[in-house]
Amino acid sequence: MEKLGGIFNASSPEMAAMAGLTFYMLAIAIAILAIIVVAVAYIIIRYRKRPGDDGEPRQDFGSIRVEIIWTVVPAIIVAVLFFLTVKTMLAVDPPKGDRKPDIIIIGHQWWWELYYPNSGVLTANEVHLPVGEKWLARLESVDVIHDFWVPELFRKIDLIPGHPNHIWLVAGKPGTFLGACAEFCGAQHANMRIRVIAQTREEFDAWEKEQLRIPKTPTSGEAAKGGKIFLTEACMNCHTVRGTAAAARVGPDLTHLNTRETIGAGVLMNTSENLKKWLSNPQAYKPSSLMPNMKLSDDEVNQIVAYLGALK
Amino acid sequence: MSRVPLVPENIEPLPRIGESEGLVTWIGSIDHKQIGIMYVIATLVFFLIGGLEALLMRIQLMQPSNEFLSPEAFNQLFTMHGTTMIFFVVMPFLIGVGVYLVPLMIGARDMAFPRLNALSFWLFVFGGLLLYYSFFTQSGAPEVGWFAYAPLSEKPFSLNKGPTYWALGLLATGIGSIASGLNNIVTILTLRTPGMTLRRVPLFVWMILVTSFLLIFVIPIISAAFAMLLLDRLLGATFFTPASGGSAILYQHFFWGFGHPEVYILILPAFGIISEVIPVFSRKPIYGYEFVAGSTVAIGLLSLAVWAHHMFAVGLGNVVNAYFSLASMLIAIPTGVKVLNWVATMWGGKIRFATPMLFAVTFLIEFVVGGLSGVAIASAPIDWQATDSYFIVAHFHYVLFGGSLFAIFAGVYYWFPKFTGRMLSECLGKWHFWLTLIGFNLTFLVQHLLGLVGMPRRVYTYPDLPYWGIMNLISTIGAIVLAISVIIFVWNVIVSLRHGKAAGDNPWNAWTLEWATTSPPPVYDFELVPPVRGRRPLWDLAHPDVPDEKQLENRRGS
Amino acid sequence: MANNRMLIGFFVASESIFFIMLILAYINFHVHGPFDGPSARSSLNPIITGIFSLFLLASSFTIWLAGRSLKKKNHFMLKFWTLITILLGATFIFGQGLEWFGLIKKDIWLPRNVFATTFFTLTGFHGFHVCVGLIMLSILLGLALAGDFKGPRSDGVEVVSIYWHFVDGVWIVVFSVIYLWAFL
Repeated sequence: MEKLGGIFNASSPEMAAMAGLTFYMLAIAIAILAIIVVAVAYIIIRYRKRPGDDGEPRQDFGSIRVEIIWTVVPAIIVAVLFFLTVKTMLAVDPPKGDRKPDIIIIGHQWWWELYYPNSGVLTANEVHLPVGEKWLARLESVDVIHDFWVPELFRKIDLIPGHPNHIWLVAGKPGTFLGACAEFCGAQHANMRIRVIAQTREEFDAWEKEQLRIPKTPTSGEAAKGGKIFLTEACMNCHTVRGTAAAARVGPDLTHLNTRETIGAGVLMNTSENLKKWLSNPQAYKPSSLMPNMKLSDDEVNQIVAYLGALK
Repeated sequence: MSRVPLVPENIEPLPRIGESEGLVTWIGSIDHKQIGIMYVIATLVFFLIGGLEALLMRIQLMQPSNEFLSPEAFNQLFTMHGTTMIFFVVMPFLIGVGVYLVPLMIGARDMAFPRLNALSFWLFVFGGLLLYYSFFTQSGAPEVGWFAYAPLSEKPFSLNKGPTYWALGLLATGIGSIASGLNNIVTILTLRTPGMTLRRVPLFVWMILVTSFLLIFVIPIISAAFAMLLLDRLLGATFFTPASGGSAILYQHFFWGFGHPEVYILILPAFGIISEVIPVFSRKPIYGYEFVAGSTVAIGLLSLAVWAHHMFAVGLGNVVNAYFSLASMLIAIPTGVKVLNWVATMWGGKIRFATPMLFAVTFLIEFVVGGLSGVAIASAPIDWQATDSYFIVAHFHYVLFGGSLFAIFAGVYYWFPKFTGRMLSECLGKWHFWLTLIGFNLTFLVQHLLGLVGMPRRVYTYPDLPYWGIMNLISTIGAIVLAISVIIFVWNVIVSLRHGKAAGDNPWNAWTLEWATTSPPPVYDFELVPPVRGRRPLWDLAHPDVPDEKQLENRRGS
Repeated sequence: MANNRMLIGFFVASESIFFIMLILAYINFHVHGPFDGPSARSSLNPIITGIFSLFLLASSFTIWLAGRSLKKKNHFMLKFWTLITILLGATFIFGQGLEWFGLIKKDIWLPRNVFATTFFTLTGFHGFHVCVGLIMLSILLGLALAGDFKGPRSDGVEVVSIYWHFVDGVWIVVFSVIYLWAFL
């Protein structure tokens, strides 16, 4: 039996608070629904018109006392729910103060740009986070409104051009957590997925070190040919590979693509087979994405895959 | 003394007043009954189109990574489905039956402004045609969702013409709706038959009155937003384009400033239908008339103050979020009061389960589910998980389908005899009802869970995560059952129009004035309006020893 | 009997909301921090616009006089005051046109910045409503010339007057928000 995700796998203190409130609310809702269902079920059985019984029943117009009771009782329930709401809001989203962000998440159609200002790491689509630390994220967009949603870890927040937002990020336990863009942002909104990889501090530091390393450009074999294609064809117009002349930020930074788990913001798992398919025609896997079909030959595709794989 | 006839006798009968049936007569009609029927027919056509759009989407979502529809096609479909169902089905249906019934219920001959009434209808049709014309243009229908958030709906992100047709079509329809609202208000305030004070009008009329006030005050908000969006798109203005200094959030405030009261516009007349059907089929007066009417006014006012609960993820700050959470939860109270009054109306009654009542009773349950999920998402931290997920899709379908549409079906089965002189088939009606009930719940109940486990809305496909595929499949099966139920419904309408049992004036033994005339009513509505000395004129006529107001007085005295 | 006055009253209330939204948009951008490019202060002339506004305000007075003439069954003065109202309103529109033209010549049009966007939208929709009013007044004048509106009562004249006063009232608010707020 597979495990249900989302609210059933709350993996951070904030998410646990939100999930707790949700389940509490659901319990109240089910209780109220049960009362109504039982009442209606009783009524439709007990007060059904029996055949032959044609008179009119007692005409009851109402009672002010009853109306007051069933206005006051819901009002009390609402007051309790509101109190719990405010409590949870403050727990999940306390004020930012003067803290500078630990990660900057920038929404693009249809991928996530991730910048770690403390170390200078620039990567895409997969958020690495040290477990248990309370980080501040700043979220912005360069085009339309997106929404950062990782249901097992964090509250949702919109990425709005012209209006940066901040949320707290805490991963309660190590693991890989899936998320998605949750504000319709155009043709490939469905394929703008997120991975959060929560690691121990040591693993995280190692990852950062690896990301910051500037790879040596391969000088021989298929990889070298791939490198030449990368720099002479249009790839460098959109992508960065640190240590080379390719420094554009239209598309994701590919310096350490070979350390990421997926391609195309989650549309394919990152294997060399899949990378070949993607490079042959990205439009087949993510139609309308901003990466055009470069009409590469099979050899060229293999060489570029070799090149990207050789960047260590 | 010769007998002088004081009144000359007619040798030939007077010509019948305008009762011809030709198409031109219908198109040129300013009679509220013909216009009402035209509204109903037009909304049925849009309902079938909108339903087809939904069915196609559900087929695409049947399994993960499906390739039945392209992303563009899917995105156009969900935009058009939402826009159609809200603006071209539920709203005009409720306005249309209002236009037919309100003058009858208040003992008037027509609306206060019959030509304005016709203008409203034709603006609605024109708006719909303009919107759907976009499907036939090269760039296709809009692909921006029914709220068309900026800057996605702006250039350069939406270069196709779809959103322009969308905004223009809705502007046209909206102007028609404002005209309807104005017409209803003046009609209800000035044309009531003597004796019918505002405290005696049927609750359906109360609901239409409050809805009409909402219409005239909130449609201008969205008209302004559409005008600004069009200026941005067509003339390069900078209202909502952040890149040139505009504000994407301003659009959301304007949109939801309209959008939230709009959902009350979609449900209040439905509440009115339920408030008519449940008493008649329980054989009792509505329990707590003043409280149902008064809570409606409260809902109308409160609805103007809760819009930003659609914006909890926008980052407006926690003070703002807390206020909107509170206000949104408060609105549950007058709504709950109504539900309890309907339940209390049935208590102690002698309930007949004809098809209208089947829909009305299940409306109560379905609407309560939708209302409770609504109270949940009124809480900002819960909404921070649920917003923009399938939980929201489930919520609003429970209130708009389980709520408004079930009430609409109840109203159709209840008033079809009055409109046409024939009864709808009870047998086909029960089939329609059960298939709708099963199909609806199969489609949407599981979507609550899909949202909670993390499926966002407006996605043309989704990954193969645990149980996502099977839950979506269940939902699609439900949609297919619904499609069959709609076919049966349409079949029922067609068959009953031809061969339905003759209805007579008052087949349900109801008590409000529309039942005091023939089915269908003559062109002048009433030969004679019965005297109105209470909320149920026909009850008073049938029970002269225990008229309503006397019973009310006795209760107050005791 | 249909209550035309009630209709126009609620219509005016409804249309006011439309203008309130345009005004809120204007205020929103002017309150949320400085923006580049031309502003009300740098590009508008409140004196000239103020003078043209007086014409519009005067026209409210003259339509009121027309209504009084109607009540006194003075058919000639009804026609006279209606004509003056139209001329005063048309002068206001002419002034608006001059103002717009001047701005456009200085390369200030809708796309320029948020001031230009909100300024032209607000004054544009107001001007449009004035033009609709002028058309209705012309229809009234035409009917009066053909012998209608002998008095003492006319729903038609009353309804158009209420609409005209509304258009005037909106201008007072718009003028205050755009001109007075920038220059005072």
